[in-house]
This record gives sequence, C-alpha cells and structure tokens, in this order.
Amino acid sequence: MDEQKSPVIEVTDLVQRLGREEILKSLSFQVWSGECFGVFGLRGSSKTSLLHILAGVDRYASGNVKVLGCDIRKNQSFKKYTGLVTQAKSLFQDLKAGENLDFIANLKNAGRANVREVISRLELEDSLRKGVNQIEPGVYQRLALACALLGSPKLLIADELIKDIDLYSRRVILREVQAFRDKGGTVVCAFSNMEFYEHMSRVAWLDDGRISIYEPAAAREHWDSMVHSLAEGQGGTDA
Amino acid sequence: MKHILNIAYYEVLHILKDPILFLIVFMVPAVYAGIFGVVYYSAAITDIPVGIVNQDNSRLSRQVVEAFNHDSHFRVVESVDTYPELKKGMREGIVRAGVVIPEDFESRVAQHRPAELLTIYDGSNLIWGFNTRKNMMEVVNQFSGTYTAGYLAGLSMSKNEIKNVMDTVSLNMEVWYNPTYSYVIFMFMGLMMMVVHQIGFLSVGLTVTREKERNCWIQYLSAPVSRGKIIIGKCLPYLVMNFFNYTLLLWISANLIHAKIEGSVLCIVLLGILYDIIITFAGFFISVHAPNSLQVTRYLLLISVPLFMISGYTWPTRYIPPVLNAFADLFPTTWMINGFRLATVKSFGLAEMMPTIGAMLVMAIGAVGLAYTFRKDRKLSATGLTVNCGNVYPRRAFVFLRPK
Amino acid sequence: MLKQCLAITCREFCYMWRDKGMRYILLLASLIGLLLFAGIYSAQVLQDIPTAVVDLDNSSQSRALVQKLENAENLKVTAHLSNYAEVRDLLEKGQVVVGVVIPENFGRDVSLSRSTNVAMLIDGSNMIYATNASSAVLTITRTVSAEAGVKTLLARGTELNQAKDAYQAIDLKEEYWFNPTANYAYFLVLGLVLNMWQQCCTLAACANVISETGVSSWLQIRAMGISKFKLFFSKSIAHLIVFMVLAVVLYVLCFGVLKLPMHCGWGILLLFTFTAALALHSVGTMMSSLALNAVDSARFGMIVALPSFVLSGFTWPLEAMPHCLQSLVWILPQTWFFQGLNYLTFKNPGWHYMLPYFKGLTIIALVCYGVSTLATGLIER
Repeated sequence: MDEQKSPVIEVTDLVQRLGREEILKSLSFQVWSGECFGVFGLRGSSKTSLLHILAGVDRYASGNVKVLGCDIRKNQSFKKYTGLVTQAKSLFQDLKAGENLDFIANLKNAGRANVREVISRLELEDSLRKGVNQIEPGVYQRLALACALLGSPKLLIADELIKDIDLYSRRVILREVQAFRDKGGTVVCAFSNMEFYEHMSRVAWLDDGRISIYEPAAAREHWDSMVHSLAEGQGGTDA
Repeated sequence: MKHILNIAYYEVLHILKDPILFLIVFMVPAVYAGIFGVVYYSAAITDIPVGIVNQDNSRLSRQVVEAFNHDSHFRVVESVDTYPELKKGMREGIVRAGVVIPEDFESRVAQHRPAELLTIYDGSNLIWGFNTRKNMMEVVNQFSGTYTAGYLAGLSMSKNEIKNVMDTVSLNMEVWYNPTYSYVIFMFMGLMMMVVHQIGFLSVGLTVTREKERNCWIQYLSAPVSRGKIIIGKCLPYLVMNFFNYTLLLWISANLIHAKIEGSVLCIVLLGILYDIIITFAGFFISVHAPNSLQVTRYLLLISVPLFMISGYTWPTRYIPPVLNAFADLFPTTWMINGFRLATVKSFGLAEMMPTIGAMLVMAIGAVGLAYTFRKDRKLSATGLTVNCGNVYPRRAFVFLRPK
Repeated sequence: MLKQCLAITCREFCYMWRDKGMRYILLLASLIGLLLFAGIYSAQVLQDIPTAVVDLDNSSQSRALVQKLENAENLKVTAHLSNYAEVRDLLEKGQVVVGVVIPENFGRDVSLSRSTNVAMLIDGSNMIYATNASSAVLTITRTVSAEAGVKTLLARGTELNQAKDAYQAIDLKEEYWFNPTANYAYFLVLGLVLNMWQQCCTLAACANVISETGVSSWLQIRAMGISKFKLFFSKSIAHLIVFMVLAVVLYVLCFGVLKLPMHCGWGILLLFTFTAALALHSVGTMMSSLALNAVDSARFGMIVALPSFVLSGFTWPLEAMPHCLQSLVWILPQTWFFQGLNYLTFKNPGWHYMLPYFKGLTIIALVCYGVSTLATGLIER
C-alpha cells in the first residue's frame, strides 16, 4: 500500500448502536500516516466505542471501516500492525509487569531485543518484578504503552493515554509517542481534557454521536467559547 | 505452535494463581472419589434390620426365625417381636423389613395346607425394598430346601438319593457382570464420570470469562493471533488436566475402591479422550458466550443431577419416554457413563463400542466446531438495569482499594 | 425501624429479579427438574423385564416351563431364540435382562426323574433390573423345583401325601409398606425435585453477604450506619419467602397433580420445610461471608450441596454406609431434611419423632449464622 497517498484509517458512514440507541451516527473521516489524530469528547461521548471499533475488537452496526487498507469486517490482518492502549486496565492482573511484556511480545511475535528496547525507552526496568496491580498509575500507563509498541506497529490506538498520571510518566509517554510518529507511525488518541490539544495534528470532536474535525487551535477556541458561554449563562442566572 | 504453547503456559500460570480453582481442579476429584467411595464401601445391602413376629412359636416357626438369624443379609432385631412393635419399628426406621409367621403356621403344614408367611418390605426406600425382597426369597428358598432335605432324610433316603430328588430340575441362577450385587460396580463409576464432567466444565468454563472480567480478553482480540491458536492454546492445559483427572479417578476407583474396571484399555482411553475433548471445547464455547464466571458456575453446578438421571444409567432407558431418551442422547454424559459401563463391566470390545465411540466422536467434532465459532470481535450489547449480568460480579477487592 | 427493614427486603426482591441468572434458576430450575424427573419415572414400576428363552428341547415339559416364565410376575418373554450364543449376544447388548436356556432332553430327563439343569442368566450390570429379575427368578425356581421334586418322589413310589409334604410350599404373601405398589416415582421424584430446590436455595443464599460487601455501594451502607444484623436479616426474609413460595408450588404439583404420597399434614410439612430452608440459607450465608467473591461463594456452597443428596441416605441408605460416615453426614442440613422428608411423607411418625430433626436443623442454622456474623465482623475489621 502507498502510505503517502492512501489513508491509514478510512471510515465511511460508521453507525454504532448500544441496544436501540445510536451512539455513533454515520461518522466519516480519514486518518493519514504520521499524524496524531485526537478524538475529543466528554465522558460518555462514545470515544472508547469508536477506538475499539478501529482496533477491531468491537463489531459495529453499519458502515465501512478500513484500517491499513483492510476492510476490518473481512480481514483481521491489520492487527499485526496495530497497538492498543485501553482506558480501562486491560493488562493481565495476575502477572507481573515483566510477564505481561513477555506474554504480549509472544502474541505479537516480537523478539527479545524489541522487548528490551521498549523497557528501556519507557523506563520500566525497576517495575518489571512488580504485579500490575501494585504499580502506580503512571508506571502502568507506560507499561501499557510498552505492550502496545511491541512488534513495531504502524498504528497506535490509545484511549486516555496521559490522563491523571504523574508528570514524569506523562513526559516519557509523550516523548515516545513523538518518537513513534517520527518513525512514520500514526496515532489515534482519545482524550477528554482540552489541555492536551497541542499534541494533536487534528482533533475530531465527538458530540452526540457526530464528529466534527478541527485544527487543534480551532478546537481549543471552540472549547474556550463553550466554557465562556456556559459561565456567562450561569452569571446571568445568578444575577 | 509457539503462540499456542505461550497461551497455554500463561493459562497454567493463571490456574496456579487462583487457589480455589487450583483446589477444584487438582483436589476436588480425588476428594469426591474418596467420599463416594466411603459411602458405597459396603457395596451391597447387608445386615438388613428385620423384625420377626412369631405368632406361632412352634418348632417349625422357630426354624424359620433361625434361618433369618443365620443369614448374613439380615440382622434380627429382637426387641421387635409383636405386630404393633413391627408397625412402630417400620415407621421409625428401627427395622426395615418384617416377617410375620401366623399362629397356625405349623398346624397348616401338618394338615397339608399351604402355610403363608407375610414378608414386609420398606417401600419408602426401594433400595431397601428390592434388596430385602431378593434376600428374603433366597432365605425362604434355602429354608424350603433344608426342610425338604430333612423331610426326605426322615424317609430314610440316602444323601445321594436326596440330592437326586432335589436336583431333578435345578434352576441355576447366574448373575453376569455383578454377581455380588455390588452397588460399587453399579453406581460408582457413573458418579466418577459426572465428577470429571463437572470439574472439567467448571474449570474450562472460566477460561474466557475470567479474561473478560479483568478486561484482558481485549488483548487476545486485538492480537495478531488466529482464532484457532487462541482456542487451542486456551484449551490445551484443560485437555491435559481433565485427562489427568480421568486417569487419576480410574486409578483410585480400581485400586482403592475396587470398582470393576476391566475390558479393553483402548476403549477406556478412547472414551476418556473423546469425553475430554467434548468437555473442554464445549466449555470454551460456553465461556466465550457467558457474561461472567458467576453465571457459568451457577448453571453448570445445577445440571449434574438432571443429566445423571436422564442418562438411563440407573432407571433403565426402556422405562423412560422416548422423547426424554432422545433428549438425553444429546448430552455426552449419557454416552460416556453408559459406554464406560459397557466397556468396563461388560468388557465390550472396540467393535461393540463403535456406536458409543461414533456418537462421542460426532459430539467431539461438534464441540470443536462450536468453539471455533468464536469471533475475534465482540458484539456490543446493552444490559440495561440488570445485576451480575455484565463482566463484573461482587468481589471484596472493590472495598479494599484505598487511595494512596 | 420496620420501615427500614421493609425497604431492604423490597430492594432484595428487586435484586433477585434483576439478577437474571438467579431469577431463572429460582423460577425455572426446580420446575424443569420436576418435569424431567416425573417424565423419567413416568413408568413408575419396573415390570415386564425383557426375557429371552432358548428351548432346546421343545417338549411338553419344556413348553410348560416356558409358559410359567411367560406368566411370571415382572418378566416378559420378548424373544424365543434358538441357541445359547444368541441369548448371550442379547444379554451383552442389553436387549434382554434375563435369559433362560432349557437344555436338550429336558422333557425326557424330567420324565425319567434324572437331574437336569436350566440356566437362568441375569444381567447384573444394572442393580435395579438385577434385584427385581432375581426375585422373579427365585419365585419360579421354588415352584418349578418343587413340582419336579414331587413328580420324582411319586415316580419312586413315595405316597402322594408324603411327596407333597416334602415340598410343603411356604407361600409368601408380600407387602410393601408405605409404598404398596413399589412405585419408583413415589420413591424418588419428590426427593430429586427437592434436591434441585435445595441446590437453588443454596446458590441464592450464597449471594447474601457478598452481594453487599463485594460492591462499592457497601461504603454507602457503612456510611449510613445501618446495623449489619438489620441489613442481612431483612435480606434473608426476602430469600426465605422466595424459597418457601417455590417449595409450596413444588408441593402442590407433586402432591396435587402427580399424587405423590403424603401421609403427613401440610402444617408439619411446611414447618419442616421452612426449618430446612433456614438451615440451607444459613449454610449459603456462611459461605457468602467467608468467600472473597461471589464465584467462590457459589463454589463453596455447591461443594456442600452437590454430594449432599447421595450422603443424605435418601437413596443409598445411611445404615449401609460405614459407621464413621453415618455420624458425620448429620453435619449436613440436607441429611436432616431428606431423612425427615422421607419419614414425614411416607410414614408420618408424628411430632415427637420429628422433634430431633427440627432441633438438628435449627442447631445447624444457629451455628452457620453465628459463623457468618463472626466472619463478616472480622473481615470488615
């Protein structure tokens, strides 16, 4: 596939339902190689549902989704080139950090050298013998990212990657994500705190099941104006 | 292959780290074998407490009482010797059988009239009832034989002559396969196969639900590993463990409980392998589709008794309505426990076992096929306001999470 | 305070209803079990045991013997075969349970008062068949031997009276007390259905404590200062009501529709069932308080409930078990329940006799509730 010209992700008229409720309403967008595509939305806006569809772990109601040239309903081979960091903890809680890396490396056919590399880059040496439930949230996120980066994927799908973690871990994670992009990797990242907008190439704003694409600065402005009008409305009421 | 072994290795680690699951898989089968082995240890019904009401008190009636006293199947309860006491004793379980010798017993014999003995069986438990009846008939037949021999001796016949007369037509009863009427031979191995079934399903039934509850299943779904490898990798440890339990129970049954396990080793091994495959892969299928481990555990625990009863292992299939028999034939337990009896008690060879093995082979293929229907993507479904139906169920760890 | 208890009890009904798995188990499992077991034992009595006859003689005497077999109680001649190998084949395959082989020259030997043997083969692999078939065969054995013996004596010149006296028949008049027709459905169906019931009750009770202490809302309850006793007592009321409603439905179906024997009154039966429900509930509650999660709680409860039917002596008698086990099994509430149930429904031995059963179940309930109170308190501390 020609990574320069064809999108890494191509979504057309994607619909997702939860029971009878449509939570994603005919979404269409594309993600290009090398960009960090942010999916912004408040809690309950179905960001996780969208990311899980792109990762191929949840079925969707209708539409067309192509990841790395594969129609994900027909062909699962794109998973070889995808790494996933979930919002809810999804590493193996009865294994130690190092055991998680070993196991997932084996699942992804990643070699020992690759495992050592991600450990080193994400500074996990001191945490390898600890149980996953015993490590701090920041270290956990670094570990989750390390597992996602095993096997040298081309696409990283990350859900709330740096939310509520210590600043040091945040720095390490952002550094590695940038390094990943510098090597040609593509990132799709869900976030709910507009403070992180400047790390994105574009921002897809999910609201009421629909998507609007913004440049990061424009997304920030839109957010600020929303906050401002809410504050003004509140002030008017108080008055 | 590497993927499969890797998944299998970590599955074993998961089992070893769950202490309750570890106990269930490795200890419960032997414990249940021990418990049921002790229950059926006596194997046959003996020492049946019987009350004899001797209303005649003649020499002949006392000989009848002696006949019961000397029979190892019965234990005469001497305190029960009147009809009201017999009624009370039967009601309260002090005696489980009764014999009433009427007043005119000896005089009727002297008058060449048939003498009647009233034999009473406890019908509230037909295991008592039927065994008592058989044993009483043996005692009465024996008594009649002794009486006849004594009478003929009184006519100055020699032993040979007496033997010739009494053996004019002798009906020789031969009980095949279980000549000692042993309940161990009848029941025990059926129960053991149910133990294998339950433990097998209860362990493999949690293999995917556990991952779903911990949200780790997503790692398998998103990994570039084929369905087949995931299925085999997940099932491999359980295939090994279930077969280990099968052989362990066979060993315990044969060597400690002295159950009858004879016949073709090939048949026994084949049956075990097929049973193992069916349980493991069907269990995987259940685990994929069950919402959580709690539901799996609840439902699987309840099905054992109904499956055992509809199998025709105890109450014969001839007396069960055809529709129920057809329903029972859909389950591997029916084929396994009945087939195991044919192979080990009746020593059926491979050729005779073909229908059973064939049916189980079809089920094994079906179970593998069912397991293979699992998809590497989930269906999103709304559970609504329900309890214990999602990927969580009550666990104390919730309350123990304290902020740092 | 009553209002609080009522609110907790109502909430518990909601909880049980919304736990779909538990809902279906409580509503359906015992009823499906009843349907199944009533269906399995619908034939009720074991009659017409399939019998094969090989008459190698075909004389009037052998035909007379075959006629006796055809008239025998509980036996049904389903096959007339031509050789021993065929009988063996059918016995092995389970198509017949009894095989009779009358040898060649049977008639001649009988006429000449020579010894002759008739083989009566019984498939002993199923004890239910074996014991019944053996009894039927033993009956025939006695009468056939006696007839032949008398003829032999007459042929030897013995007087008729003396010949008859030698084989003075002892007729057996048989009675099955409490179950006159030896009806297998009467014996087993109620016990099996109530076994399902007790397993369902145990499973439901196994959620009692853990369903509160294992969820984050437990913090709310602790913050509100509601006493644990009040909370779990009110929850238990809901459980016991459901258990008893289920039991009543099952009893109505068993005694009213299926006409299973019930020689006791409804009052004592329901009181006894309630006491048993309390004991079962206490065991489940105890498991629930000791386990760290709902799955383990269910497992602990069922590890007790599953073998309890066999251990209770309802089928394989207690008296046939080793002495050490005979005492141990009374630790289980199921033993008290099934033993008591058998006595109540078949024999109605009266209140005085049943008192120890009520006591036993009550003691078990007190002990198990006590343990769960201690365990819940300790774990929380």
